[in-house]
Amino acid sequence: MIATKTLKARRPRRKGISISEFLVFTLPLLLFLLILYGTLIWNFYMSMVNWVSTAPDYTFTGLKWYTYLFHQNRFLVDVQNNLKWLILGVVPTTVAAIFLAYLLELAPIKGVESYVRTLILYPVAMSFVVTGTVWSWLYQPEKGVFNTILASLGIDSPFTYTNDPKTATYWLIVIFIWQYLGFAVIIIQSSFRTTELQEMVESATVDGASKIRILFSVIIPNIRSGILILVSLLLINSLKVFDIVWIVTRGGPGIATDVLATNMIVTAYDQRLASAGAAIGVIIFLIAFILVIPYTIYALKKWFE
Amino acid sequence: MKSKSKTLKFVVIIVLIALTIVYLLPIYVMVTNSLKTLPEITQRTYLALPNQPQIKNFTSALFGSKEFLIPMARPILNSAIITVSVTFLAVFFGSLGGYYLSRTKSTFTRVIFVLVGIALYMPYQAVIIPLTTITAKIGLINSHLGLILCYMIINIPLAAVLMGTFFLGVPRELEEAAEVDGSSKIQTFFRIVIPISIPAYASVAIIIFTQVWNEFFIALTLVTPKTQTVQVAMAMTEGSTISPYNLQMAASLLTVSVPLLAFLFLGRYFIRGVLAGALKG
Repeated sequence: MIATKTLKARRPRRKGISISEFLVFTLPLLLFLLILYGTLIWNFYMSMVNWVSTAPDYTFTGLKWYTYLFHQNRFLVDVQNNLKWLILGVVPTTVAAIFLAYLLELAPIKGVESYVRTLILYPVAMSFVVTGTVWSWLYQPEKGVFNTILASLGIDSPFTYTNDPKTATYWLIVIFIWQYLGFAVIIIQSSFRTTELQEMVESATVDGASKIRILFSVIIPNIRSGILILVSLLLINSLKVFDIVWIVTRGGPGIATDVLATNMIVTAYDQRLASAGAAIGVIIFLIAFILVIPYTIYALKKWFE
Repeated sequence: MKSKSKTLKFVVIIVLIALTIVYLLPIYVMVTNSLKTLPEITQRTYLALPNQPQIKNFTSALFGSKEFLIPMARPILNSAIITVSVTFLAVFFGSLGGYYLSRTKSTFTRVIFVLVGIALYMPYQAVIIPLTTITAKIGLINSHLGLILCYMIINIPLAAVLMGTFFLGVPRELEEAAEVDGSSKIQTFFRIVIPISIPAYASVAIIIFTQVWNEFFIALTLVTPKTQTVQVAMAMTEGSTISPYNLQMAASLLTVSVPLLAFLFLGRYFIRGVLAGALKG
């Protein structure tokens, strides 16, 4: 086969790529990108029309549904809750992951690494539907696992977890952190393991810097890109959080744990306000877009460097 | 970075024990309660061990029973059809696009790259309403194809970036040598690039498989009874007060078993895929 190939005229085509080749490689991707961005624009348009029942209605209404949302108490609760998710889903997870990864790096116990990886990473393979289901068993006030454990330690538990409107969102965020911590540790760990960083840590150690000092003034500044990636991923995932809330509390008690994504489903599919639902979709997209700008710029530089 | 301090080692051991408890507790609760009888669950604590493991809970959860009206067998089959199709199609088409992105540097490539990058993080909420309208309009609402197409919209860009990341690391000398011998770009891709990238394909396939199997938001809005996925069925067992707790836990275990087994046996690929997605893209 190689022989017949070499018999053909040698045409070194290093740079050139013919139209048909271009199409084979990119057409499927471009097609689906077209559908994606097409539906995105369509959704944007839908948010500005008067579609309020099952039948489409494209009467232009401008920003009517956005004003409708901004005057809706539920929407304002959602924004506050999403803000809690964005801060508490991301900051504690990232900080805990950095400390945990550093600790494991400092005092590695032989043979334990793959155990730890499996132990804390397996939730990545689970769905929030299942995680949420199991955690509602843990949280249940009367018979739940946590209160049973506290009772057996002689503590009369004051917690009602997700049944308490004031703190319910925080308990939901705990589930999110549990699910993503392993993932976060893996990302931080692998950004520790570059030769440059290892050498810098070595020389800082020789200079007599303390462990904590090394962490803050050598390691953290040098794993910025790892942190950027992790934070972006966590931000997006906590912004679009839906499954945990839907499964564990369905936005309740009342609307105490409602978030934009659950409100959107209720608005668009239960109340049949398609346009208002589309408007919530646009708002979620705009926030997501702003949140991933730093990451996109970084990725673009890195890819084409 | 290693340290020889004894106290540090002690701290690590304490942390490991704490992590073990926190991470095994949910699995423990799921496994033990899925094997109990209903009275054992309602009359004793959730932490108690089952007297006699009730293996038949799993057959009831799979095929339904008088008390359990959401047999999981059909949803598992639906999810398998959808997930396997999406994984194959998205990884294949995505890798074609990813190869192009990794081998050209024109302005056009940059534009596609940015569009793909944003697509990776696109919240489903921003496109779900038009997607439901489209699938209903072209009559796909009652078939698996509707869900398959919807999942491909998001997962082809993901596969493109993940595979592209791997291709960036593939030495070009091989491809150039083939091209000097007159092989076209497409032939080079199929004969040289794909065979040496099989591990990468495996990693990306596992990531996409897990993601699609576990997806709930699109599934919830698009499924009909005929195409109900495993997550939606699972959510119904959670939502309904009538579903017996032991069977609910058995159904949970069935739901997670597929991606969890993939994770346990192919963990290496899984981790590599997660890292590729996170670190380089």
